[in-house]
Amino acid sequence: MVHVEIAAEKLFQLGPLTVTNSMIGALLASLALLAAARWFVRRAALVPSRGQSLIELPIELLAGIVRGTGGKRWRQFAPLVITIFVFVLLANWISLLPGVGTIGLAEHGPDGKVVLVPFVRAAAADLNLTLGLALVSFVSFIAFGIRANGLRGYLRELLVAEPVYMTPLLTPIHLISELSRVISLSMRLFGNVFAGEVLLATMLALTTATLFILPLAFFVPGVFLVLELIFGFVQALVFALLSMTYITLAIAEHRQHATHEDHSGEAPEPATAPAHGAAQPTS
Amino acid sequence: MSRDPKEQGPRPANWAVAFDLGLRLGVSVAVGLGAGLLTDNWLHTSPIFILVGMLLGIAAAMYTIWDVARQSMGR
Repeated sequence: MVHVEIAAEKLFQLGPLTVTNSMIGALLASLALLAAARWFVRRAALVPSRGQSLIELPIELLAGIVRGTGGKRWRQFAPLVITIFVFVLLANWISLLPGVGTIGLAEHGPDGKVVLVPFVRAAAADLNLTLGLALVSFVSFIAFGIRANGLRGYLRELLVAEPVYMTPLLTPIHLISELSRVISLSMRLFGNVFAGEVLLATMLALTTATLFILPLAFFVPGVFLVLELIFGFVQALVFALLSMTYITLAIAEHRQHATHEDHSGEAPEPATAPAHGAAQPTS
Repeated sequence: MSRDPKEQGPRPANWAVAFDLGLRLGVSVAVGLGAGLLTDNWLHTSPIFILVGMLLGIAAAMYTIWDVARQSMGR
């Protein structure tokens, strides 16, 4: 019997903090990232080993994209975008490990039936995490907008329309459009990952039921696991790239409206930046 | 030698924006409706602000399309 719970399930209470299984998933992803970073910092070499290449691969992929599309100030927000990407990617892929979602405690549900409460659940299958990430992204692009535009300029950009007499009509529309960014960012990631979890659970339940009839029962969940690997990557990429796009737009709007002023206090990078990994001139 | 950007096809960021656009249209209308519903419950003026919120949400969805198209052309 497939048991689907939209909200993350409570595991135990830690003082005022309720620890849920999706929090364990997020914690595992964070610990894996920290361990990889520690290993990478200690053993980084000019000629990368296989392990180093494995860690560098997603980072270089996204750094290349950010460098190509993020404008001249891409270095300012590249760490944030790459961190979001790697964290979401790892959180999505950890949910595909054996035992995640299938090993847990048997508890009685509200209707009296025994249900499985897994110890670990996909971190992004909890709206709290995706909403939190979307808010981080939202605050970041507002901060970059204020940094490039100044607080006054940013508020003018947000609240005052052109022509000015259209402000009462256009400002609510603009505010709704801005707010929809956060909701769509969080809902998309949550919806895709949660749907993937439900799909995998359903396929496992169906194929387990037909295990002795259909020899392909082992093969079918495998196909969906591979698909989830791809979807996990695509969703992480989309989330990170949208965050980057919003930040780029927040900075670019400044260029359109106030080309003579710059509040960021940093010089833009030269347009002819050397390619990543290319030999740097030494002085 | 660098290639002409037009020959390189759509950029990954453009794919992401395309992924985003469909959902944002729906979310814009939902946000407008939700705000209208809350305002109506607060002021007991139903259904005035639900209608106003819905119209603003639809307008925000149109604005989003226009904004994304403008930004894409500007890139």
